[in-house]
Amino acid sequence: MGVSRTDFLSRWHQRLLTRRQLLIHAAGGSLTALLPLPAFTASNHHTDSTVPDPWPVIDTVQQHLFPAEQHAPGAHEINALAYLQFVVSDTTLDQDERAFITHGVKWLQGISQQTYQQSFLKLDMQQAENVLQRIARSDAGENWLSTLMLYLTEALLTDPVYGGNTNQIGWKWLQHTPGFPRPPADKTFPYLLAKK
Amino acid sequence: MNDFDICIIGSGAGGGPVALTLAQAGHSVVVLEKGPWFTENDFYKDELACCLRSVYTPNLRDEQHVIEDRDADGKWTDTPTSESGWDFWNGNLVGGSSNLMSGFFHRLKPVDFHQLDEFGPIANANRVNWPISYTDLAPYYDKVERVVGVSGKFVPHKNIEPRSGDFPYPPTAEHAISGWIDNACEKLDYHSLRVPRAILSRPEGQRRSCEYSGYCGSLGCSSGAKGSSRAALLNQAVSTGFCHIRPHSKVTRLITNPKGKITSVEYINRENKVQQLKARIYVVACQAIETSRLLLQSTGPAFPDGLANNHSQVGKNLLFSAGGSGSGDFNFADLSAKKRGQLKQLGPFVNRALDDWYTIRDVKLARQQLKGGIAEFLFAHPNPTGKANALKWNDDQLSWGKPFKRKLETLFTTDRTLRFEVFNDWLPTDNCFVSLDKNIKDKWGSPVAKVRIGYHPHDLVIGRYLADKAERVLKQMGAVHISSSISGDPPANLVAGGCRFGNNPETSVLDADCRAHDVENLFVTDGSFMPTGGSVPYTWTIYANAFRVADKIKQV
Repeated sequence: MGVSRTDFLSRWHQRLLTRRQLLIHAAGGSLTALLPLPAFTASNHHTDSTVPDPWPVIDTVQQHLFPAEQHAPGAHEINALAYLQFVVSDTTLDQDERAFITHGVKWLQGISQQTYQQSFLKLDMQQAENVLQRIARSDAGENWLSTLMLYLTEALLTDPVYGGNTNQIGWKWLQHTPGFPRPPADKTFPYLLAKK
Repeated sequence: MNDFDICIIGSGAGGGPVALTLAQAGHSVVVLEKGPWFTENDFYKDELACCLRSVYTPNLRDEQHVIEDRDADGKWTDTPTSESGWDFWNGNLVGGSSNLMSGFFHRLKPVDFHQLDEFGPIANANRVNWPISYTDLAPYYDKVERVVGVSGKFVPHKNIEPRSGDFPYPPTAEHAISGWIDNACEKLDYHSLRVPRAILSRPEGQRRSCEYSGYCGSLGCSSGAKGSSRAALLNQAVSTGFCHIRPHSKVTRLITNPKGKITSVEYINRENKVQQLKARIYVVACQAIETSRLLLQSTGPAFPDGLANNHSQVGKNLLFSAGGSGSGDFNFADLSAKKRGQLKQLGPFVNRALDDWYTIRDVKLARQQLKGGIAEFLFAHPNPTGKANALKWNDDQLSWGKPFKRKLETLFTTDRTLRFEVFNDWLPTDNCFVSLDKNIKDKWGSPVAKVRIGYHPHDLVIGRYLADKAERVLKQMGAVHISSSISGDPPANLVAGGCRFGNNPETSVLDADCRAHDVENLFVTDGSFMPTGGSVPYTWTIYANAFRVADKIKQV
């Protein structure tokens, strides 16, 4: 279509999704059972790592993954947290993916507790980096971070009508020229999906 | 008593020409389309809507395919697309995937109609001649230029197919890089081909001219300039008063009597109610994979193995487009201010291809002449999010933070990428076909299509030959980071075959008029009819053949 050949992108996507699906299947559908790391033993999971509100931790992770700089926007500037909350609230989003995003916080906290005996929210920059590097060594952890990165890039570069890319800050930073006409608020993809 | 004269299933490039032709002739026509009816007022340059959410295609949990591919040991292995994410849908909406095409248009050439005679057989490939010739289709290629709207300028080229006169619409605006390509080709003693586009360069009726946003392929057109079946044909057909379009109508089967004639079509509407209607003639145009699937699941007393399938030919010899793609970058820092400004311009089209090797005569490759193909030049798609997201991977390692941001800056601000796509014949083989999956059903309870996607190794040899030529052009132009990839992975959006037309009912599904050999009131007018693919994108040929068949139907 767009490019009329979509094969290579599709194949790349296929590999990514297949790996994730295999992981989910291998765990009998339970994402929290995927982690091969000692922090995710049942006892740890049930005692220390319950996070009633995952969003403060996700906010902190997003800032680490996409830090603000003097010349370039960070997660806060592109409104990444609100954008991700919009994504998760979209009823057409795969339920597994929704659970994957929020439940991932529990095992991130588990690793943080095990390694530094405190919440991820209280770690310094280097400690946070160490924890993220550690979870990235497991397939499930890497996929969780990859999912957060996907929605960070969406918050950075999709139309501001969706809540990210505040005042086109992402487009301006990367000198990107959007197409026209741009979608008005009443013609975004949820509206189109409702017409299906 | 029939409800309509003609019932067309599918509203894309195969359905639109039939609807318009028959409605203009005063026949009552109904078009059943599974998807919704969007208009220009619904299309915006919105990457989320077009490309990152399932707006124009089904959710794979509801409707999917099963892909049968070789694993590392060479064994055929089934993978449902709901697990792989490898989407084989191309556009389920009124007008079909023609709403989302890029619109670079090529005719087939005379040699495509008699490949077996011209190039001889190839072991393990089912190469055949067509039952019609280029001269049969040429008037309908002309008709597409006028009715759908093809913009271009005829410039003589040593390999150009015969045509009458210039194009009815002047060429679309062209990017400065088109001249760079021309210059490079001249230095290499290649001959760049000026490519026409199914995009209006001036207003016509209710359709506006192209507005050159630079965002075209994969997106619906808000000006109506793109020659989709919907904008160019169905709107006209409806205006006759004889054509009725029913969106949200998923056809589940064609019902036949013991004599093998279709008596009605069964479909499910948006309210999930099963409906039936009767017509004198039925036209199937659901795009190749779904057309074969519908016939296979339409069993009846005269067709225990599927409609028109008593010789086990339905679904066989499925075709994609062989080839691959490549690219090169032009660093802004290496260019003069003038050229840098030219390169950054967004909007005008490239409209250039290499067409010197449609037939390859090169003793370094083979003693005999070989069927070749084309290489089409185009800019990398401007949609930003997909390519930004891909940057997070360093080989197989995830990256983030400032290193990721530096990569973004480099990708977006330091150069522009010119791509090329190679198109060569996907040889028909016994390892590329459609069947019904025995386990997985869609949300309505119908078995989904299983697609075996085997390719012929000869396809890769030709693809590589063409990609090397295109790479030389990029190098001559001064591009850097030049690379290309030729693979046997099928591009899901370039699909044809499965219901071959031919003169022998033992080896083909359709006759030369695209009427089923065994079903007197069934025609197939999408790309399914093609017994060999040719080495160009299929859309112009599908449009032209559907207009040709529509004239045949008028005589029935």
